[in-house]
Amino acid sequence: MEAPPDSRAPILVIGAGIAGITCALNAADYGAAVLLVDDTPSIGGLMARLDKTFPTNDCSICIEAPRMYEVGNHPNIEILANTTVKKANRKNGRFAVRLVTRPRYVDPEKCTGCGACIDACPVRVPDELDGKIGGTRKLIYMPFPQAVPNVVLIDPRCRSGAMRAQGACVGGCVVDCSQCRECPIALCVKACQKEGKDAIRLWQAATSRNIEVSAIVVATGVMDVRPSRGLHGYDLYPNVITYTQFERLMNAGGPTAGRIVRPSDGRPAHKIAWLQCAGRGLAGGIPYCSKVCCMVATKQTLITKEHDAAVETVVFLNDLKACGKGFWAFHEKARAAGVRHVKARPYDVVEDPATRNLVLRYEDLETGELATEEAELVVLSTGLKASDRNEGLARTLGLELDEHGFFREPDPLAAPLETAVAGIYLCGGATGPIDIAEAVVQGSAAALKAVLCGSRKEHACPTRPA
Amino acid sequence: MSDPTRVGVFVCDCGSNIAGVVDVPAVVRYAAGLEHVVFVDEGRWSCSVDALARMQRIIREQALNRVVVAACTPRTHEPLFKATVKEAGLNPYLLEFVSIREQVSWVHMHERDAATWKAQELVRMGVAKAVLLEEGAEIRLPVGTTCLVIGGGMAGMTAALHVADQGFGAVLVEKAPALGGLLSRISTVIHGRREVPATELVRAAAARIEAHPGIRVFTGAEIESLGGYVGNYQLAVRAGGVSERIDAATVIVATGMREIDAAGHFRHGEDPRVVTQLELEERLRRGDRLDGVEDVVIVQCVGSRNETRGCCAIGCAVAVKNALRLAADGAGRRVHLLYRDLSLVKDEHLHLEDARQAGVRFLRFPDDRYPELLETEGKLAVRVHDLLLDRDLELAADLLVLTTAYRGDDSVDRLKGLLKVSANADGFFQEAHVKLGPLDFPAEGIALGGCAKSPKFLRDSLEEGMGAAMRVSIPMKRGYVEAAGIVAELDLEDCENCGLCAKQCPYGAIQLSDQREPSLLQALCKGCGLCAADCPMECISIVHYSDAQLAAQVDAALAERPAEKIVGFVCHWCALGGVDMAGVSRLQYPPHARLIRVMCSARVPIRLVERAFERGAAGVLVAGCEFPTCHYITGNYACDKRMERARKKLAKKGYDPARLWTLWCSAADGPKFAGAMREMVRALGLPAHNGSAASSTAGRAS
Repeated sequence: MEAPPDSRAPILVIGAGIAGITCALNAADYGAAVLLVDDTPSIGGLMARLDKTFPTNDCSICIEAPRMYEVGNHPNIEILANTTVKKANRKNGRFAVRLVTRPRYVDPEKCTGCGACIDACPVRVPDELDGKIGGTRKLIYMPFPQAVPNVVLIDPRCRSGAMRAQGACVGGCVVDCSQCRECPIALCVKACQKEGKDAIRLWQAATSRNIEVSAIVVATGVMDVRPSRGLHGYDLYPNVITYTQFERLMNAGGPTAGRIVRPSDGRPAHKIAWLQCAGRGLAGGIPYCSKVCCMVATKQTLITKEHDAAVETVVFLNDLKACGKGFWAFHEKARAAGVRHVKARPYDVVEDPATRNLVLRYEDLETGELATEEAELVVLSTGLKASDRNEGLARTLGLELDEHGFFREPDPLAAPLETAVAGIYLCGGATGPIDIAEAVVQGSAAALKAVLCGSRKEHACPTRPA
Repeated sequence: MSDPTRVGVFVCDCGSNIAGVVDVPAVVRYAAGLEHVVFVDEGRWSCSVDALARMQRIIREQALNRVVVAACTPRTHEPLFKATVKEAGLNPYLLEFVSIREQVSWVHMHERDAATWKAQELVRMGVAKAVLLEEGAEIRLPVGTTCLVIGGGMAGMTAALHVADQGFGAVLVEKAPALGGLLSRISTVIHGRREVPATELVRAAAARIEAHPGIRVFTGAEIESLGGYVGNYQLAVRAGGVSERIDAATVIVATGMREIDAAGHFRHGEDPRVVTQLELEERLRRGDRLDGVEDVVIVQCVGSRNETRGCCAIGCAVAVKNALRLAADGAGRRVHLLYRDLSLVKDEHLHLEDARQAGVRFLRFPDDRYPELLETEGKLAVRVHDLLLDRDLELAADLLVLTTAYRGDDSVDRLKGLLKVSANADGFFQEAHVKLGPLDFPAEGIALGGCAKSPKFLRDSLEEGMGAAMRVSIPMKRGYVEAAGIVAELDLEDCENCGLCAKQCPYGAIQLSDQREPSLLQALCKGCGLCAADCPMECISIVHYSDAQLAAQVDAALAERPAEKIVGFVCHWCALGGVDMAGVSRLQYPPHARLIRVMCSARVPIRLVERAFERGAAGVLVAGCEFPTCHYITGNYACDKRMERARKKLAKKGYDPARLWTLWCSAADGPKFAGAMREMVRALGLPAHNGSAASSTAGRAS
């Protein structure tokens, strides 16, 4: 697969979700050198955490992981995980950027991802994404099994002593970890040495790198909206969870190994209700339609029915968005499988303290009447919002954001994916809420913009057609 | 005389990950006794930089010509070891990878003896295959720099411009007399609250196309013939009464879409007061002020969201745009918009608010009760059941606008045959993968974009045009397409010209001559092996996964105590992913299985399954990707059908067909694989404790 590496300055792709991965692979296959940075410890983005993808119910990681390995092995791509872009100055038509990599406290050259250190670590903490539904990780951990790079990292709270009370083995010394080059107490260090490796570097510090790049592609992605406390009982009642948490719940690789159980008691949920557009238009929510939630709920109900056809599933929604190839048939498949859909405006959700079931009150939009429904588990489809990295990155790159925090395109009808700065392009969730296929399309398109820009000899990138 | 076969085996401890369970020195001793093995090395971490350097030194010093690595999993580490042996001067296809961590030490942690025996046997199977390995090489097919773009709408024009801007040649073929496609028929395009005349956008793009030295344009053109494959497409096009033959390296399909025939719906075609959205757009575009029209009714979902057709995807935004325009142009019209669901996403709701402000009335009707057309005294009216009021309303209509469904262009039926691609019942082309291959067809060098795939808005069409340009530009920039060395090889001596291989190949890599003689374009072959497994005359082999190599692995697996064993064929992608996931998750399952890797489950021929039973296997497992995922389009479906046939054949031969299992497993589904192993062992009634250290018969003590 090798193409001769381009002698010109590399293209910088910021964000390594499926849009950034696609962009990087297209540009690299074309022959350009690519720096792919992500501020999380692994590439993969949101897609790596999904169970299935609509409307085919393909397993998400099954189709994404091969692309991730391809990125990891591509001679033209360098991955910088845990890395943020701190500076980007225009210089002779290029960008002088400063990249800062946070320490993993592990030498990526030496770590083989064997996991002996994880076994040895005495402290288990709630996982960032899965905590609500019982997912845990150790203080030294692998982001997820298919992570690229496949290297563990250490929670910085461990080193700082913040986890001593929870039983952490380090962090209480007279000098802090950055002063020592040997650690006689850390159990992970001992376990690693016992394996014949010496990969753990508790004294590691952030590193920075200055480099010139020919073009920049912003692919910072989307985030799921976390409901504000009390929204439909969220954070008040344990059995009210978000749609991304439900996704992890039904994932064979998730914290419950795919068993759809209630956080309150770990028992299987026999009746599950989805509330669409949860929080939309309210404080803390988003004012726009995220476009994917209807199909996500359709997928989740179908998979729930596949796990156990006896589980009752009901979706409370406003307008059904099935605007994509095969989406309507997918919705009809769910209906045929016994999924109920109610056009409704929910009022409130109250927990029955005896059963911890949830009673929903809603206005039926087809009859205008007030009705109630009881469910054992409630799933809030809260939508997608702009990445919280966007604001800082926009400042660094000199770009504008729109009122929702997505990157603004000056002329989306004539020159989509271009920004006000020549040489900086957008793709994926950086442009707005988006599904995987659209992110892939944009990733390919932005890659072309970037290589075209990088190949201009006069150091002037084309912007909009005249 | 060729070199005698000299196999080196490198067994990794993976610290204590393997060595903590498997008796690695015993595996090393065992391997040393195998035929053709001249050197065995134990490494604490075989993937560390120093160990790799040592491996290269040993390869050179021992003049090894085959290497077996027994370590973690090929899914993550095979590229590293391939690169290592290559640097040592050995062809990388002479490497065989044996997984004794994910398949042994992590999943049989409490059965040291059985684990060690299984590791030894897996090494024996690896060596048996390695001995038969042959050198391979990447195969290249040259690709030129001319791209044929079919369709001169916005997607096609954008694609042609982006191809030509790189210095490549673009040939743009449009059947209409002018460029512009669908957009040249509509009045305005909106984005957020911005509204732009469509003509401006079409003119700007067409002007750039016509001024571009790298683009040849054929309008009013008819494609007389078209065929070929990447690097070698031939087109005959007729325009202005002249025929011309053109060679192209790549193709972009951007043939757009049209409204469905609305005849039969609400008397469309009979009554001029009933128009489609596109017909309304054309009138607005011409500056028709619709004088005399006071009451407008717009009906959504005409011909869509029913048993045969999905959501039209763009009709709601189009209808709201036009409703607002008709209500807000000062003529004081009453506008009713009758809908089922309003599919407005992102910023499109801004227009909805404006339309409500302007007095457009939105009525929701039930999915199963469509509005009806009434005519009294020459006046049209629409009767609709308003869901919210729960009663029927009659709305006068001087103009009735139908928001219809769309379908692919009429040329699709012919083009899909010429280009050997597929399309759905509505004439929309089928992309390679709905999520990760949205711009590709299965074969390389041919891409698609715009409304030819499904209805979409202008900006999405532009993005797809650019993206499709990128997809075809990659091989044009490189100058070649390349296949990994794992490809089919045809030996036509026994071929009976049945044509099955050409018919089945998902990539169009096998072509039939006029005499129905197949020939293979290796550079297009992905090596799935579907053709090889189904060829009735066994004329096709797959490099690195030949019948002989797979048979050698089966035989090696069953050389001892076959009645206790399960022979498993697992695909490289999801099934092996599930196996690895079970390993990473430390799911414990019985150690009876001996797994053989294939690239796709479709590679497994019935004869190989039979061979395993003839050699005495207790059971056979064939595992592939969970439906509908397949990394070779539909290999798992083909395999599933074939294994049904295999069961019948086995029954005829006196084997219990229930001993052949299939498993369709995702790469995330470790529990499913581990569960299947437990279930198989139970169902086959195998002894719970399986294994002891290898018998002394195989090993030559050294």
